[in-house]
Amino acid sequence: MINDLITRRDALRVGALGIGALGLAACGSSSSSGAASNAPVASNSKSPVTLNMLTWNDHYYPSTQWPAIKKETGISVNVTLGSDDAAMFIKAQQSGQFDIVSADALWVPYYHQQGLTNAFDINDIPASKDLYSVSRDFSIWQGGGGYLAYPRAWSALRIYYNPKFVSPAPTSYEVLLDPKYHGKFVRENQPTDIMAEAGLATGAKAPYNMNSAELSRATEWLKAAKPAFLTLVSQNTGVVQALTNESAWFTSENLGTDIRVKEAGGPLIKAAVPKEGVVGWLDAEQQMKTSHANRFNQFINAWGQPEWVVPLFKEFKEAWFNEAAYKLLVNAGQKEFADALLYNQPEEALKAHLKGPAKNPNAYITAFNSVFGA
Amino acid sequence: MTASTTPASSGPRAVVGAPARRGSRVRRGVVTLSQYTGFAPAMVLFGLFFAAPMALIVAYSFWTQEGYKVVSDWTFANYQSVFNTPVYVNTFLVTLWMTAAATALTLAIAFPFSYWLARYVSRRWQRPLLFLVILPFWVSYLLRVTAWTIILGNNGALSRLLGVVGLSTPSWLLYDRPAVIFVLVYLYFPFAALTLFAALERFDWRQMHAAMDLGATHPRAVRTVMLPQIKPGITTAVIFVFIPILGEYLTPELVGGTRGVMIGNLVDNFFQEAQYAEGAAIAILIAAVVIILLLIFRRSLEVGETYGG
Repeated sequence: MINDLITRRDALRVGALGIGALGLAACGSSSSSGAASNAPVASNSKSPVTLNMLTWNDHYYPSTQWPAIKKETGISVNVTLGSDDAAMFIKAQQSGQFDIVSADALWVPYYHQQGLTNAFDINDIPASKDLYSVSRDFSIWQGGGGYLAYPRAWSALRIYYNPKFVSPAPTSYEVLLDPKYHGKFVRENQPTDIMAEAGLATGAKAPYNMNSAELSRATEWLKAAKPAFLTLVSQNTGVVQALTNESAWFTSENLGTDIRVKEAGGPLIKAAVPKEGVVGWLDAEQQMKTSHANRFNQFINAWGQPEWVVPLFKEFKEAWFNEAAYKLLVNAGQKEFADALLYNQPEEALKAHLKGPAKNPNAYITAFNSVFGA
Repeated sequence: MTASTTPASSGPRAVVGAPARRGSRVRRGVVTLSQYTGFAPAMVLFGLFFAAPMALIVAYSFWTQEGYKVVSDWTFANYQSVFNTPVYVNTFLVTLWMTAAATALTLAIAFPFSYWLARYVSRRWQRPLLFLVILPFWVSYLLRVTAWTIILGNNGALSRLLGVVGLSTPSWLLYDRPAVIFVLVYLYFPFAALTLFAALERFDWRQMHAAMDLGATHPRAVRTVMLPQIKPGITTAVIFVFIPILGEYLTPELVGGTRGVMIGNLVDNFFQEAQYAEGAAIAILIAAVVIILLLIFRRSLEVGETYGG
């Protein structure tokens, strides 16, 4: 199957067809990096190296963290920001140039199944001792004779609502069908996740792997719920803005949305857990099969120090799996803030239906578009 | 006679002339090739940055999507899926009318402005006013659209203004099609205004005076004398506004809500989830509409056609 993939060679070949008269038909390209199939021996060298990292912006502190890591390890980091797991997976697979790639929950084993990542012994990374023990033992991330990724943070989506307008408190996704809330629901535009939530609302057991009958039920439910949707926004900030100015009264969002709205000067927002269950994610850093894989442990050890986690937690309000950072927060008098984001309950991460690749992603998007198209 | 003279007269010409023509054809070929050598950099750039990516998108639209992988097995399935799914056809049609409405409104506002600027404003003041037209380009596109979400939103400037005069905020002010069209008109007004101004600036206003001296009313002089002469400028303005709006997805996403969706948003959904094959098929259909429009407009761009010349 791998041989059937569109490699850069295929892409260039097609491009060359378009400009064949220009003599580019002979252009080729080396196929994606073929690194060792076995995990490399970790290096403690301080020799200068640049690691290419495909990640999200809440994973690092560029202004201070990168210079410090370079000074300590000789590792420079060249970051490429990603958007969604699917697009990042394709980018990582087709370029073959990323040394570290961030991914969510069930995407991690998917990368490994596609032969893109190395399994490693997490205990070889000294900083892993700072992690909650539960996060070093996620069954979904075990395979290949080791651990598939270094755990970072997690969240679960809740219904966040403005009690001034939404009463009684929602207990179910059914609240979206209530006519009095037409045009008052705001949501990040995440087609697969929205379909997964519609799947939960209609009783699907595996909302990221619905069969066609389940998908059909979810689509019909979402059509009925569509009048509640005010808008689909591209970023969390759009949700916060809509809740703050009260153009929207409720949302399905990551933990901490109530705090973000409060910080933006908005009204009191409360959280509710729908009885059908919630979707969620736990993300991690993966060691890709590249020639720099032997510097992964060294990088992660420097990057995952609790001193870096604390400011990132404060800024992005995501519960990390770093227990040592939680203790620093408690010592700094921020226990209430951290506990409000469930930082002290990492086991909660596994209670959500975890994000992962759909078996039939095209069907998910077609279903989503059929609801939200004109 | 005619039959016998024709071969006789053409024969020698054919014999004598043939080698000479072949020779000149070769020379002409050499000259032509050397003439085009100068275009090589442009052709390379065009090939690398337009033809090759376009060819890739066309290929993707005919390849097979298997999960998250695009496999190079040729198929029409992506196009069949688009045409067999009513929501894509409907959204395409809605996009076309939203684009047409936004283009018409943009030109309806830009034309009087450009007319006034070209005819009644002194040259001294034309430059500062044109500078004001392009001033919004100093701010990023994203910021300009985001600013409108604040102006048009709940508790926004417009909402408060309406409140002061005792009016309630209409529900379509934001997160609906009128909001999308309004913001698109704002965004593309400079393109239309500058293009129309360039056309009107070259117009000889004495012809208007002559037409009116001969009894034409002002509207008739505009319609029969001025408009035919600035038709290429109007066509260019339509092209500059209509084509980019047709592929818009950011403005409808930011101010359109779930009721102001355009076809670009559905393409974006496909690309967001790495479903490139069907997304590429819709993108190619948008490109096809653009090409058809350009072919239709091509004649209008020929100045010689103005009076059937």
